[in-house]
Amino acid sequence: MKYHLMTLGCQMNKSDSERVQSVVEKMGFRYTDNEEEANLVGILACSVRQKAIDKVYSKIHKWNKQKNKRNLITFVSGCILPTDQEKFLKLFDMVFTMNELPEFPQMLSQYGIVTPYRIENDFEPEESLPFPKTELPTINLNTITFNPAQTKSKAGQTLILKKPEVNMKGFWDVKPSYQSAFEAFVPIQNGCDKFCTFCAVPYTRGREVSRPSVEIIAEVKELINKGFKTITLLGQNVNSYGLDKKGEEISFPELLQEIGKIGDASLNPFWVYFTSPHPRDMTVDVIEVIAKYKCLANQIHIPLQSGDDKVLIRMNRKHSLSDYRKIIHTIRRITPEATIFTDIIVGFTSENDDQFQNTVKALDEFKFNMAYIARYSPRPGAASSRWIDDVDHETKKERLQILSETLKVHSLAYNKKLLNRELTVLVVKKDRKEGHLSALTEGKIIVRIKSSNEELIGQFLKVKINSISGFSTEGVVIS
Amino acid sequence: MIEQKKAIQADKQYKEINFEVHYIRHLTDTTYVVRFDRNEMHFIPGQHLSVGLANDPQAREYSIYNSNNDNFLEILVKEVDDGIVSKRLKKVKPGDQLKVTGPMGFFKLDAKTINSRKHLFVATGTGISPFHAFVKSYPQLDYQLIHGVRKSEEAYERSEYKNSNYTLCSSRDKKGDYNGRTTDFLRSQKIDPSTLVYLCGNCDMIFEVYDILTEKGIPTENIHTEVYF
Repeated sequence: MKYHLMTLGCQMNKSDSERVQSVVEKMGFRYTDNEEEANLVGILACSVRQKAIDKVYSKIHKWNKQKNKRNLITFVSGCILPTDQEKFLKLFDMVFTMNELPEFPQMLSQYGIVTPYRIENDFEPEESLPFPKTELPTINLNTITFNPAQTKSKAGQTLILKKPEVNMKGFWDVKPSYQSAFEAFVPIQNGCDKFCTFCAVPYTRGREVSRPSVEIIAEVKELINKGFKTITLLGQNVNSYGLDKKGEEISFPELLQEIGKIGDASLNPFWVYFTSPHPRDMTVDVIEVIAKYKCLANQIHIPLQSGDDKVLIRMNRKHSLSDYRKIIHTIRRITPEATIFTDIIVGFTSENDDQFQNTVKALDEFKFNMAYIARYSPRPGAASSRWIDDVDHETKKERLQILSETLKVHSLAYNKKLLNRELTVLVVKKDRKEGHLSALTEGKIIVRIKSSNEELIGQFLKVKINSISGFSTEGVVIS
Repeated sequence: MIEQKKAIQADKQYKEINFEVHYIRHLTDTTYVVRFDRNEMHFIPGQHLSVGLANDPQAREYSIYNSNNDNFLEILVKEVDDGIVSKRLKKVKPGDQLKVTGPMGFFKLDAKTINSRKHLFVATGTGISPFHAFVKSYPQLDYQLIHGVRKSEEAYERSEYKNSNYTLCSSRDKKGDYNGRTTDFLRSQKIDPSTLVYLCGNCDMIFEVYDILTEKGIPTENIHTEVYF
C-alpha cells in the first residue's frame, strides 16, 4: 500500500511532515512520488497563503473525481484556518490537527483498512477512540490488506477527532522520519501569541506551546550521536520558548545553554541554528550563550519586517526600530563574527514612500548579510486582509528591487572580507552550476566548490575563498 | 533549578478547560460586557484573551476589561456588522461554556512607575477596555483618560472613572466633554513630556495621535500602542 503526501508552506510544515510520514510509514504504507498509484493521499496545508489554499482545493477536487475509478482515502492537516477547516470537512475523508496525529492510525481503521496497528490493538471502529496512544507497533508489510469495498466511514462522513484536551505532547512524541541524513529540524515550540496583522499563524496553529525541554534535549542528543551536521531549532517564535509555562520550564537561553554544553562535549562537530525569533522576546542572554558555545552557530535570523515605526505599529509587531537597533548592537558587540539575516515586507498596507525609505535606511544601517524580502500580499484570515491593499503591484516590485540592490551592496562588502580566508563549510547539495557543489559557512554564506563528488554532500570541508559575488562566494578545498 | 524545571515540565499535562458564562451586560444596542469564570488565571492588566464559544473553531482577541483583583473575567465586545464571533458571543446565556486561551500581550504598565509617573490614556470606542482594567486594578494611578466616541452613549460605564480624570470626546453629537475628534482635543492640550502615554484603538487614531505627541516633544519610548483591528 502506498501513500503520497504533499507539503505546502513553511519549514514548520516541512518538519511536521517528517512526523506525519513516520506515523503513516509505521502503519505499513510506503511513500510514492506518484500520487496516481497511492491509496492514501494527504496534504499538509497552509492557510497562510491564498495560492497554497487554491492548490489544496485543486488537488482535492481531482482526487475526489478519481474516487469513482480507484480506492482512495484523503486527509488534510497542517496550518488550517477555522473557515477552511469547515470547508475541508465536506471535501476530505479526514481532517485533523497536528496534535491529533498520534490518533491517525485509529482514524484510518474506521475506513476498513487493516494494518498491523489495528490487529495488534484489536481496534474496532465502533469503539470510542482511546487517547493518547503514541506508541505504534513494528510493521510487517505482508500483513497489510486494503478493503476495497469501504472507502467511507460507517457514518459516511469526514472523520474529525475531538479530544478532551489539546495536547501537543503526543505529536512531539512521534519520532520523525528525517528527510536528510545531515540536516535536522527540531520543533521546540508551536503556535503564536504575537498577532502580527499580516499573518494568520495565531489562527491556524493557536497559542504558543513549548515542547518539554527533556524531549528536545533527548532528540538533539540522538541527532548528534547519529552524526547530523546541522540542527535547527524550530518555532513560530522560537525565542519565546518557555514563556507559556510561567517559570515551570527552562527559558530559551537556558535551553540553548543545555544544548551548547552537550554539543561542545561531543566529538561530532555540528552547528545549531534557530528560526524564527521575534525581536520582542530577544534577550541579551541568547547572544551571550551563542558566544559561549562553539556548536551554537554564529548566525542569527531576526525579522525586521519594516524600518518604519508606524508601519511596525500597523503590523502590530510590538517593537520599534529603536528596540530592534538595540538588538543588532548587542549582536555586533557580543558576537562580532555573527552573520545577520532578516525578513522584510515591502508594500504593506498604506506604506508610503517616506516609510519605505526608512526601511532602506535600516538596511544601510544594519548591513544584513541576507534579507528575505517579500512583496506584501493579503493573507486570508490575517487582520490586514480586511484592509485595502493600496500599494500597487508596480510600486511593490520597484521597492523590492531597490531593497535587493541595497542588500547586495552590504552583502558584497561582507563577502569581500572573506576573500582568501580559510573557512569550514558544510557541503549541502549539488550546485546548479555544472560540476560544482554548494556549501554553507557557519554563517550560512554560500560557497560554491568545484567538484562533482556527491559523496562530499553532508561533510564538513576546509576551503579557501578565492572569488566572491553579491550573495555567494567560490572556494577551493584545502582539506 | 534547570533540572527541577525540566522535571516539572515533563509531567505537565496541557489541558484546555472551558470557562462558564456568568452573565452578559448590554451597554448599548451593539456593545456588551461578557463576564465569565476566571479559573484562577493569572493576568496582568492590559493583556488580552482569545475567546470563542466552546466547540466552535472561531475565536477572537479581546482585552481583559476587569480588575486583576476580581475573581472573574470580563471582556468588552462591540458587535461587528460582518463579524462572526461578536455576533455569537452576544447570544450567550449564563451557564454557557466559552473557550478561552491566554492571557497574551505586552500592553501593560511598568510596575516600577505605576505609582510615580503621570499616565495619559487615549482610547477610541472599545479601546477603552484595557484602560478600564488599569484604572480598576491600580487605585493609586495618576491618570487622565481621553475617550473618543461617535456618540456620547458610547461612553461605556463612565461612572467607573473619576470625572476629573475622564474626558469624553464625542464627534457626532454635542453631549461630550469635548465636542469633536480626540485628535483635535489633544492638539489643544499641554502635555508634560515625561508623561507615559498609552494609545488603544484603531490604527488611524493611533498614527495621528502619535504624530501629535511627538510634535509636542513626547519621546517615542514613552508612547505605547495597542492596535484594535
